[in-house]
Formats: sequence, structure tokens, C-alpha cells
Amino acid sequence: MQELTITSGRNMAHIDPNLSIWGWEIPVYLYLGGLVAGILFFSALYFLRGKSDEMPTVVRVTPLLAPFILGIGLFVLFLDLEYKLHVFRFYTNIRLESPMSWGSWTIGVVFPLSLLWAAIHVTDVFPNWRWPFQWLKRFVLMAQTYARPIAWILILYSVILGMYTGILLSAFNARPIWNTAIMGPLFLASGLSTGLALNLLLSKNKAEKHIIGRVDVMAIGTEIFLIIHMFMGLLASTEIHIKAAELFLGGPYTAFFWIFVVGLGLMLPALLELLEIRGKVGVSKIPALLVLAGGFVLRYIIVEAGQFSQWGL
Amino acid sequence: MSDKQEKYWSPYVAGFVLGLVLLATFFVMGRGLGASGAMMRVVTYAVDTVSPEHVDGNVYFAKYAGGEQNPLNNWLVFEVIGVVVGGLLSGLLAGRLKWKTDKGPNISTTGRLLFAFAGGGLMGFGARLAKGCTSGQALSGGATLALGSWAFMFTMFAAGYAVAYFVKKQWI
Amino acid sequence: MFAPLYKYGLFGAEVSLVVAFVLGILFGFTLERAGFSSSRKLAMQFYFRDMTVLKVMFTAIVTAMVGILYLNLTDILDISLIYLNPTYLAPQVAGGVVMGIGFVIGGYCPGTSLVASAIGKIDGFVYIFGALFGMLVFGELFPLFQDFSTSGFIGDATLMQWLGFSPGTVAFLVILMALGMFWGAEIIEKKYAEKEQEAVPENETTREPDATRTFKTVQA
Repeated sequence: MQELTITSGRNMAHIDPNLSIWGWEIPVYLYLGGLVAGILFFSALYFLRGKSDEMPTVVRVTPLLAPFILGIGLFVLFLDLEYKLHVFRFYTNIRLESPMSWGSWTIGVVFPLSLLWAAIHVTDVFPNWRWPFQWLKRFVLMAQTYARPIAWILILYSVILGMYTGILLSAFNARPIWNTAIMGPLFLASGLSTGLALNLLLSKNKAEKHIIGRVDVMAIGTEIFLIIHMFMGLLASTEIHIKAAELFLGGPYTAFFWIFVVGLGLMLPALLELLEIRGKVGVSKIPALLVLAGGFVLRYIIVEAGQFSQWGL
Repeated sequence: MSDKQEKYWSPYVAGFVLGLVLLATFFVMGRGLGASGAMMRVVTYAVDTVSPEHVDGNVYFAKYAGGEQNPLNNWLVFEVIGVVVGGLLSGLLAGRLKWKTDKGPNISTTGRLLFAFAGGGLMGFGARLAKGCTSGQALSGGATLALGSWAFMFTMFAAGYAVAYFVKKQWI
Repeated sequence: MFAPLYKYGLFGAEVSLVVAFVLGILFGFTLERAGFSSSRKLAMQFYFRDMTVLKVMFTAIVTAMVGILYLNLTDILDISLIYLNPTYLAPQVAGGVVMGIGFVIGGYCPGTSLVASAIGKIDGFVYIFGALFGMLVFGELFPLFQDFSTSGFIGDATLMQWLGFSPGTVAFLVILMALGMFWGAEIIEKKYAEKEQEAVPENETTREPDATRTFKTVQA
């Protein structure tokens, strides 16, 4: 991010009328954050429901990747910061009204939790795993006895993380397309869906894949519902919001959004998953990859369009 | 993957449905279907990425991507993305999705792939020369009774039959 | 008249791309269902073993042609707004010759190669790379062809103008020709199927009677 000197309310370079500060880093970070939220949510959920053995990929295997994915996301975010050495300042002041402050504290909780959750499960996935230090081993053993409460906290925080990836945008009042309450739930649903898709990609168990596919169809259905809702909400709002919605309804983002996000990223994979559940086709990798790609395109295009959408008429 | 493969449609049924799709395209868009034009745009996009000056300096490339134009932001390109998705869906539903090389029994796979590349090269070149391929010229132009498209269609099939004997080994 | 819808301004350029995507799905689906995802099936056209290409193409052309003329007669579709491929006789004939040769050698045409690759045909992928290469060569060499590629220009010429008949008459002749070709195709296919049967009786006898008519590549 560059430092900007602002002297007037309008026509500021990089901010008004079109914001062009955020490049690829922010969508990647939001995407990976949502993905981790999805992974952790379903891992904890099915762990609590006692499905650890039936759904080993969801509960045990994929969460091992979560800390790494989140780490990459944070690194990308760090790249985006102009004052990289000042990163600690996010933690030296708590501001209840700032979503960025909320976000850094959520990450501050989720990241160690995801490490702990991975540590709890690592011996189940790799039976030959040895902890290097005795105290570490004892610590993980102790954590294992508290696995259930940890899972509850994980569910709570993964939902907050998933919502936050959207709220970060919607709290930006100045960008009409983001300024809708749907953004949080939409990004949460998308994050849950991409988390499931990664599980679908990694799972080798047919019964598990069927369950994942079924839940993913529901997540995708929710997403489509929220997208429709978002446009209805924007269209029923002020002139400025209508103009923002029109970016996707005939404006410059129309084809890209409806084809790559809704068509290839949501409807096609949902259709393929439905067909697979009915035993018609057997290629779960294709819908999984489509959902993973579609989730990124959704965030990319919303960040792009949000920067493009403006208050002026 | 299911073991059962669904049969192809009867050629007349498939032709009728294809005709309806083509008619719908004329009805909605006022233009026909195509394929090679989209491929040309991919080529131009690649050249444009490597060297925009080269594109601007070549009359033919400049037509697709001169200056600030993005050659991929085009009707045919999006249609072709749909073609791939539609083919995938049909193949999936019919249980035909499989890594495979089509060839006759008397040719090696490498041989067939070399032929595929050579044939593709000729087709690509010829399609640009004729300003369209089997879809854009023969099918769409044929239905609108364009004179050049019919001339194209008949010479294409005539040339195919004339040469077929020499590459018989590849298919039979 | 209110069609073509796009030309009458029912939706804008951006929405037309979404329409393109949907129509493309239908196009690709039908091509695959017709069997055009198999290069061997397509190439058998040139050895009279399987006339699917001819049957599908002419049925489609006749269907769309009749549809266009009918919609024009009923004042729904304005035929003058439909894009007509301009005629450049010399390059089109030359391109036809090059493509015909390429078709037999490569086994696909550009559209069918996309559908073939979509279902995992490796020769389809290789063909696409070949076609892209061929187009690159054409683009690079274009200055040499520039004059030739615009020669024989007759403008928006149609069969009607060439023959001097009304659209209805031309359509009727096209239909007659198509029916004749279908009839011939059926006879030729049957003849070659019998020949095959004599040549390799062990494979063919187990099939149901209608399957012997169309050459099947899937068992290979």
C-alpha cells in the first residue's frame, strides 16, 4: 500500500472516483482465509459429531494443511502492507470499531488454534510421528483430552474468520458494492464451500466423498441464494447501489461474474456433484477444482468491482 | 466412471438439434456459431503478451488486438468456453470421459499424435485463409446460403476425399 | 419484427457474452452427442464407413435454413440483419482445399477438437496445439497473403443471387440435395458394413443388427 496525501474529498488518485490500491494480494488473502475457515469448521463439526473414523480426510488430514495455508495468506497480506515493520501495531491497540483490528485479533486466535488442532491429529495421520521434545509431547497429549472444547472454540472462530473476510469489505462504506450486509455470510458460505472442495479433492473414501458432495451442494445453494439476495438488496437501495449492482447486470463485470463465478464456479460443480450423488458420474475432482477456482474468482471480482464502484453518479 | 457408455444420438436427431441450436443463435444474436476465430484470438493473446509491439506491427494480429484491445473479450471466445463445458457435460453423462488417443489399429500412438499436430496445423492455416472453419463457414454460412461458404464446404470435402487414400493407414 | 434480439437492442454486449456461453454449451453438448468427439468416427466419413458428419451437417443446415426462412416469412426475424459470411471466392476455395487435407490427416475440425479434448482425447489436445501453431504461422506470414486473402471478393453473395432463384426455390433444392445425399449415405454405409462383416466376422456377428450400420470406434 502506498502512503497517500489527501487534500480534497473527491478526485483523489487511487481512491476516488475509482479505488485502485488493492491488487492480487487482498483477494488471495481473503480466499485463503475463507478456505481455512471452511477446513477448520467442518473438521471440528464432524469431530464433535463423532465421525472421525468415517470421515478421516475432513476431520484429520486436511486440517494439517490449515496452518500452512493460513501462513501463506498472512505472508501475502504482509506483502501488501506498506510499513512491514509496523505489523505489530495491529496488536498494540484494540479498536472495536475497526474491522481490521477485529481481523488481526481473529487471526491471532485462529492461527495458534489451527496449529494446535493439527498437532492433536498429526499422530492419527502419521503413526510414526515423534515429537522432538518431551514437554511438547506432554502438552499435545494434554490438549487431546481437551479436544472437544477446542473444537467448539474452533467452530466459533472459523465462523468469525469466514464472516470477517467479507465484513472487511462491507465495513468499507465508501464502496457501494461492498456496502451490503450480505458480504459476510456470502464469503462465509463461499469459504465453507471451498473448504469442502479441498476435502473432496483429497478424500479417497467414496462414502466420505458423497457426504462432502451433499453438504457442498447445500453450501453452493446458499451462496447462489445470497448472491441473488445481494443483487435484490442493492437494486432496492439507493441510486448509487443500483449503479453498483449494474456493474454485474449488464456492466463491465457481467460476463465474467455470471460465467466464471456463477456458471463455472457454482452451478456446474453443483450439477456435477448432484449427478455424482445419484451415481451417474464419478469424477469428483472436476467439481472440486471448479469450486476452488470459482471461490477465488468471486473474491477477486468483488474486490475489483468494489474498487471500481463509486459514490458519484 | 460408469462402465456403460451411452450410445450417440442418431445422426439425424443430432443434426436436427444442432440445427435448432444454430437457429437459436441466429434468432438471438443475428450471427452464427464458430470455433476457429476464438482460437485465433488465443494465438493473438499469446503473441500480445510476449510482444505488444509485434502485434501492432502486423496487420493481421492488430485486427484482433491492436492497441489496448483485449483479444479474448469476444463473443466467440465465450462461446468456445461453453463448447468445452457442453462437451464435458455430455461426455460425463454418457460415461465417455477418459484419457485416450483415437486411432486406427495400424498406427502407433506417437504416429497418430504427429498426424494430429500436422493436420491441426493445416486446418489452422486453412481456417484463417478461408475466414472460418467447419462451424463458422460450412455450418453457419451454409444455413444462410452464403455463396462462398458453399464453395468452401464442397472443396473441403472434395479435398478430403482426394487425399483420404494416402493416410488410410492412420484410420483403418 | 423483433429478432435477432441482440440487433434489436434487447440486451447489451456484456450480456451477449453470457448468451454466447450458454449457446456454446448447447453447441458442444450436441457435437459430443453426435459422436464428433472421436476423430476416427469423423475420419471414417472419408472412407465411406460412417457418414455421420454428412448427415449431421446437412440436417443441421436444412433445419436452420428452413427455420430462418420461416421466421422471416412470418415477420419475426429480419433476415437482412443476420451476419452473412462475405464471399472471397479464391481464398475460400484454397482454404477449403487446405482444410480438407488437414481434416483427413488431423481427424478433427477446430470445433470438434475442443469437444474431443473436453472428454480427454489426447489427439484432440495435440490437434488444438497444431491448429494454434498453424494460425500463428498464418498471422506471421500474412503480409505474403494479404492480396490473395481479399481476392475474388464478391461481397455478400448468396446462392440465390448466383442461381437467380428465389430463396424458397434454393431452399427446396438444398433439401432435395440433402435427401439425395442421405439416401446415398445409407446405401454406401450398408455396403461397407457388409464388407467389414465378411472381413472380420468374429467381431461383427455378436452385434445387434442396427449397430453394424454405424461404425463404432469405442471398442478399440
